[in-house]
Amino acid sequence: MGPLSYSGAMGRCMTRNLLAPPLLQPALRTTHLSFRGRLLAIPAEKGPLFKIGCKFRTSQDNKSRQVDKKIVIPDKAPSVSEDGDGDKGIDSKLQKSSGIPYLGFLKKGSRKVLAVLSNLPLAIGEMFTIAGLMALGTVIDQGEAPAYYFEKYPEDNPVFGFFTWKWVLALGFDHMYSSPIFLGMLALLAASLMACTYTTQIPLVRVARRWSFLHSADPIRKLEFADSLPKAAVQDLGVILSGAGYEVFSKGPSLYAFKGLASRFAPIGVHLAMLLIMGGATLTAAGSFRGSVTVPQGLNFVVGDVLGPSGFLSTPTEAFNTEVHVNQFYMDYYDTGEVSQFHSDLSLFDLDGKEIMRKMISVNDPLRYGGITIYQTDWSISALQVVKDGEGPFNLAMAPLQLSGDKKLFGTFLPLGDPNSSDVKGISMLARDLQSVVLYDQEGKFAGIRRPNSKLPIEIDGVKIVIEDAIGSTGLDLKTDPGVPIVYAGFGALMLTTCISFLSHSQVWALQDGTAVVVGGKSNRAKIEFSNEMDRLLNNVPEIVSFNDSTQGMSSQSETTNITFPE
Amino acid sequence: MIFETLEHILTHICFSIISIVITINLMKLLVHEIVGLCDSSEKGMIVTFLCITGLLVTRWIYSRHFPLNDLYGSLMFLSWSFSVFHMVSKIRNHKNHLSAITAPSAIFTQGFATSGLLTEMHPSAILVPALQSQWLMMHVSMMLLSYGALLCGSLLSVALLVITFRKNIDILSKSKNFLIGSFSFDEIQYLNEKGSVLQSTYFLSFRNYHKYQFTQQLDRWSYRVISLGFTFLTIGILSGAVWANEAWGSYWNWDPKETWAFITWTIFAIYLHTRTAQSLQGVNSAMVASAGFLIIWICYFGVNILGVGLHSYGSFTLTSN
Repeated sequence: MGPLSYSGAMGRCMTRNLLAPPLLQPALRTTHLSFRGRLLAIPAEKGPLFKIGCKFRTSQDNKSRQVDKKIVIPDKAPSVSEDGDGDKGIDSKLQKSSGIPYLGFLKKGSRKVLAVLSNLPLAIGEMFTIAGLMALGTVIDQGEAPAYYFEKYPEDNPVFGFFTWKWVLALGFDHMYSSPIFLGMLALLAASLMACTYTTQIPLVRVARRWSFLHSADPIRKLEFADSLPKAAVQDLGVILSGAGYEVFSKGPSLYAFKGLASRFAPIGVHLAMLLIMGGATLTAAGSFRGSVTVPQGLNFVVGDVLGPSGFLSTPTEAFNTEVHVNQFYMDYYDTGEVSQFHSDLSLFDLDGKEIMRKMISVNDPLRYGGITIYQTDWSISALQVVKDGEGPFNLAMAPLQLSGDKKLFGTFLPLGDPNSSDVKGISMLARDLQSVVLYDQEGKFAGIRRPNSKLPIEIDGVKIVIEDAIGSTGLDLKTDPGVPIVYAGFGALMLTTCISFLSHSQVWALQDGTAVVVGGKSNRAKIEFSNEMDRLLNNVPEIVSFNDSTQGMSSQSETTNITFPE
Repeated sequence: MIFETLEHILTHICFSIISIVITINLMKLLVHEIVGLCDSSEKGMIVTFLCITGLLVTRWIYSRHFPLNDLYGSLMFLSWSFSVFHMVSKIRNHKNHLSAITAPSAIFTQGFATSGLLTEMHPSAILVPALQSQWLMMHVSMMLLSYGALLCGSLLSVALLVITFRKNIDILSKSKNFLIGSFSFDEIQYLNEKGSVLQSTYFLSFRNYHKYQFTQQLDRWSYRVISLGFTFLTIGILSGAVWANEAWGSYWNWDPKETWAFITWTIFAIYLHTRTAQSLQGVNSAMVASAGFLIIWICYFGVNILGVGLHSYGSFTLTSN
């Protein structure tokens, strides 16, 4: 492969890396001389930044970075095509920044801020603080009335000797996840993410994309992985490396190969995805509507009456005039009697009373219309239809009796005798769900169990009662959330980029040194796997047995000594 | 009924096999180089893997849903994921220390799952409404795989810390091996942390070199395994968020379990960031990973045992705030 082949290869590589920042697109190719001077100026200018910068995902040590620098700025003048491709990005950026000199002072200040923000210990501290605050938020009960905290964190008996309700209320820890401290930390983290991406990650990717051949064996031997193959041809190594998925470039005695360059871009993607999620979450907080409603079967409500705005960006839409009618609410049960699913049959009507949508919703299957989502989240029993001695049916309203435990319990009361007397007695009816009703007589003794719809009468204290039906009400949550598409986009990007980040960027240099090939390489993440892989690949490099030299077993790849490679 | 019997048999088989495997590993430590022992412990892990797989499949068949709706099922799945990591690392023929971590971890999770602590949760066969979703499989399996990987990785970091902070590595009967250079990392195993025969300083520099190499290997493997676990955790949390947006009405509810999963994610994100700075690598990052080890357990158990929040499926009924 000659030098001509790489511009094409790099082009391929760029189109493959969709995450490449636009700066890296082929553009502005300035003359090499002026550019070289500028490039040398960068480390001096950005030196302190690099030292304290957060250096995201460069697991190389200083040594290897110096090697990088060596690669970038070789002493010998390289051919134009060697460095040019990789450095265009920096070059164009420099041009851009030099285009606005009158902002110099402001730029200096903002650079200082950037340097502080992209400081790795600061970012780590922020993450620790956020983790700690979140943990605290799960320890302190959230969203209670102040009286609760007075009692739980009293002043005369402070937790850890200092922590009282004053702290909780003053710092807003009773609503941790919307407290100014927590949100401020998140904002600071977002700022750090941006600063780090800008000042550290993007330059690092540029460094990684920059590549060149090494023209002497010494720097190759100093790499993390280094080996020497006697009696081998660098071309064979190239073939084997490209068989193993490397992009191989070679010129004369030098060879350069890499794979997994995408993993250099992925951390930037991770940061951007985090920012996207944060942005979407902010939009959710500022621009959504929420509300919940419990509607007995057969009744209806207007969407706009239920929804309440959550932030200053919340603006109602046309769809808020929609009327929702609960056609039916029922539950499915397992054989053991436990609830398996809740269903609500909902119809939506527009202002003209025309049905525009009808759907049976259940848990995990919400209704979506015009940006509004209706979830099945709760239920209760609103009334029992009871026929008393052939009269009726009467609707007896059910009241929730015990909601503290896991199970729900509803009860109602059918008065017997004179309802105006001071001590009314009657029949009590209790129900846990819509399946069965337990009846108790005037004395409070158990009288029997009846299923609604069974039409089976029960006689208690001389009164014949038929339970016609149990009417449930469905508990619905409604919301509009403009942030969801953005957050989902962030989710997708984050999943993809974290997966790509698991890959490792591996680079291999080789040089034909007489009859031997000096091979060196490094990888940023999978260091052990990389050296194993290299060992395996190098073992496959055929040894060239020249005709007058038949000594065997000199090299590490004794098993391949019998392969003769035509030269 | 037949399924339950089968399940019991499988549980007992794999539990006893893991015990045997661990015993073999211990013996290897004391009396190394017994021919066939190593081989048999490998076979043992394969049989264990098959047994747990069979167990999960059995549960899947007779409960007619993915068996991850309760703590028992999730523990068995965690145990399974440990054995998967073991198998994968063996198949890819990495000479690493994972096997020292995976086998004991698998037995501890199984022991906990089958112990009396959880017997009342054991026969749970019904799926509450909120769990009836295709996301169950995706979310829970990803979370448990990530717990498995992160636990392995952070245990490697704990081992690194223990080794670094001890004056000498335990050599026991291995000084000969040291000398002839056939030092096998596999054999030092996790018991390195426990045994404590201190040697004098004869081969200090030589041993320090090996110690350095060993800790570096531990460091790199723990980084790799934690990176993998972090990827799983990200996918798990995000798929959970998407599911929550279908079932609970919002993609993020600050539910305790969610919050702790996020804390875990943050801690391991910190770990990955410490790896980028030369000055923070090694011991510092290992400390972060060890903290992560505790936090995973809080995330995994704390919430289930306290039964708070939306994730408490041991006693879940359909409620909203």
